[in-house]
Amino acid sequence: MNKTFEVEESNSVSRREFFKKTASVSAIAATSILAPATLLADDENIIHHTKWGTTLGDEVNKNPYGVPSAYEHNTVRRTSALMSSAGDMHAAISMSPLHELSGIITPNGLHFTRTHNGVAHIDPNKFRLMIHGLVEKPIVLTLEQLKRYPSESRILVLECPSNSAAEWKGPQFGTLQFVKGMMSCAEWTGVRLKTILDDLGLKPEAKWMLAEGSDGSEMSRTVPIEKVLDDAMIVWGQNGEALRPEQGYPVRLMLPGWEANLCVKWLKRLEFGDKPWYAKEETSKYTALTASGKAIQHFYANEVNSIITSPCPEKDWKDLEKGDLVEIEGLAWSGHGTINGVDISFDGGKNWVEAHLKGLVLPKAWTRFSYMYKYEGKPLLLQSRSYDDSKNVQPTVNQEKAVVGVEGVYHRNAIITWKVTDMGEVSNVQIRS
Amino acid sequence: MFKLDRKLVTITGVALVGVTLALSSTFAVAGSIDGAASIYKSKSGAIDGGVIYPRVKGTYTAYKYNEQSTKGVNFGRTPTANELKAWDIDALPDGTGLPEGEGSVELGDELFEAQCAVCHGDFGGGGQGYPQLAGGNQDKDKNGIIITLKNQRVYGSVDAPKRTVGTYWPVATTLFTYIRDSMPYAHPKSLTNNEVYAITAYILAQNGLSVDGEDMDDDEFVLNKEKLAKVVLPNRNGFYPNIDDPNAQEDIRAFFADRAKNIGAGIRCMKDCKDPGGKDGKTPAAVMKIKYEMKDVVPPYAYAKDLPPKKEVGLQHPGKEAYEVNCVVCHKTDAMGAPAVGDKQAWEATLTQGIDKVYENSIKGKGGMPPKGGTSLSDDKIKEIVDYMIEASK
Repeated sequence: MNKTFEVEESNSVSRREFFKKTASVSAIAATSILAPATLLADDENIIHHTKWGTTLGDEVNKNPYGVPSAYEHNTVRRTSALMSSAGDMHAAISMSPLHELSGIITPNGLHFTRTHNGVAHIDPNKFRLMIHGLVEKPIVLTLEQLKRYPSESRILVLECPSNSAAEWKGPQFGTLQFVKGMMSCAEWTGVRLKTILDDLGLKPEAKWMLAEGSDGSEMSRTVPIEKVLDDAMIVWGQNGEALRPEQGYPVRLMLPGWEANLCVKWLKRLEFGDKPWYAKEETSKYTALTASGKAIQHFYANEVNSIITSPCPEKDWKDLEKGDLVEIEGLAWSGHGTINGVDISFDGGKNWVEAHLKGLVLPKAWTRFSYMYKYEGKPLLLQSRSYDDSKNVQPTVNQEKAVVGVEGVYHRNAIITWKVTDMGEVSNVQIRS
Repeated sequence: MFKLDRKLVTITGVALVGVTLALSSTFAVAGSIDGAASIYKSKSGAIDGGVIYPRVKGTYTAYKYNEQSTKGVNFGRTPTANELKAWDIDALPDGTGLPEGEGSVELGDELFEAQCAVCHGDFGGGGQGYPQLAGGNQDKDKNGIIITLKNQRVYGSVDAPKRTVGTYWPVATTLFTYIRDSMPYAHPKSLTNNEVYAITAYILAQNGLSVDGEDMDDDEFVLNKEKLAKVVLPNRNGFYPNIDDPNAQEDIRAFFADRAKNIGAGIRCMKDCKDPGGKDGKTPAAVMKIKYEMKDVVPPYAYAKDLPPKKEVGLQHPGKEAYEVNCVVCHKTDAMGAPAVGDKQAWEATLTQGIDKVYENSIKGKGGMPPKGGTSLSDDKIKEIVDYMIEASK
């Protein structure tokens, strides 16, 4: 097998291949590419001055609101007709480019987006939030009044419960962006609902809260009171700035760890009651039909989950050489609590090694994991499996299927498998019976 | 499956030969799901099955918080009675909150054909890519479960389970509130309460339902709040955990506490793990590849770090923006029978009747399209939109 040849045939020549190729052109026996630089042809990018080093750059405030480098124009959200109704993109989902993200924070312009009636554009001066029902003192708040409440900030993952829904019956999408891109993680700032309720006086018979959006779909969900009083928030800040319209500007509900659909955007009204409401998005949708013929309703927390982000189909290993030491990297998260650890398998789940967590390890947030691997040029079936402090272990496809079947649509957290060929190509497969 | 103490290690049934090994310290440590990384103080028993992190002495997990009391923070004002009346219009399954009004199946039929069928299909039977509202077999097994909801599209079998109002939805009041608040799709909140009762009646009728022994599939049938509150949908008991009784939140907690049984769970096996499954539960797992890869994504897949292609800059057609707000839903593709913008042939065919007739149809409505597409735009604006659609289809 001549791996180098294969790589050189492709359109994009990696930096390393460039060095090797130029070395052979100069007809010097390259015993090792790590040998003295005199063996190598010179890189024009080093030898000559660059355009940007010899001209005046932009004025400091050319972009009063900054934008990414023009060279990053392909780092964008993407959608598909399959993520919509009949190709109509007002009730659709746009996926985050996970393969290009670093750390645990998703930039606001790349946050995944789901709308049921288009992205609403709310005039903040006309925004009102009503809180009423089984409270001693119902209130109406303007945005300015709401933001007078003391705030907290938390880094939290938001995941659509449909993430990976296309994969129940078998692998369908060939990229990380579409296999797991219905999620993002950001720092959210707002007020704890409990802080507001301390003043309003919740009546003891209040068992449920209706959260209602003001967009065209009037998205509504019923939330149990225990969650409201534990860690629920009303948020207006996203990574240090106002929420983006796609994320519910000016205000959305935030239920840490729970499915993003419950975190109602463009929030308008919170009503406390003693019975659940049976809103459309908690009955006809967002209920998980199991093989028994019955469906799980009020399916709250997103399960323990993980995905390897490097390598992935978009970031393959075609440029690696046998013996290269390379980092396997990924994301783990759990709506139930904090990631305790992640295991990695190279043989499709028969044997596992422990990966290392890195960076901040926060509850209900993305957690990065890492494993240094010596590349051998052999075919692999690469998997990650996370576990959390709530005693959850991520299931295999078979383990999840045995309990819920394949028609559940929501809350799929089965282990994802990247098949890595001996050429370093990466594709989405499943290990299942 | 055989479980030892889950805190230490859980092993699969097929690994039973390794019980002794499993109990050896090396394996137990490697397979522990507690690990050493339970870094925050937590207690189990959250309603969702997870843990709760107490807020203690100014610290919440990795976060610090201000311990000073927030009691007495007090902004905003009391809503007026009219404000409450305007916004507090939700309804419960028992009919509490439903408004006065009534509507017949006959009127519902007319409204549905004009405003709903374009997306939900004739008689709500689907087919346009939007949710199917009626149809599907409602027959139940001896346990009261709708048989077709057990359909699983796996091992080469059967049709998809149909999730229509008659086969899946638990509660009829949801239909009323959703249509009133969120429909018609492109013009939500444009229907009167009477019209919403009529459309609700029509959809229930198309599902062959009855209320109080009265067959709804009759043009003369008139729905009002009392009758709607009494409608029991066939799949009313098709959902769990129970959320209706006074102890509902304890039922939910118990359900999510047993996640291995109720929603599936993994096992932290580390060596020689077996993962059988399939119809008999014994078939070894194998690699399944993508049969037909979905590559039709927008924008198309691209990974180069290069400069974007230069776009041609031109003045935007005055009708474009209004088109995208009001008309794109139906005219983006021909799925709904409307000439799709960009389809040269379809528009050439449409224009054979003359531009004045096309203007007239767009203003007065035609087929599934309501007058002015259901908007309240001026005649001139509608003409401008038509001009844009023609221009964009050349």
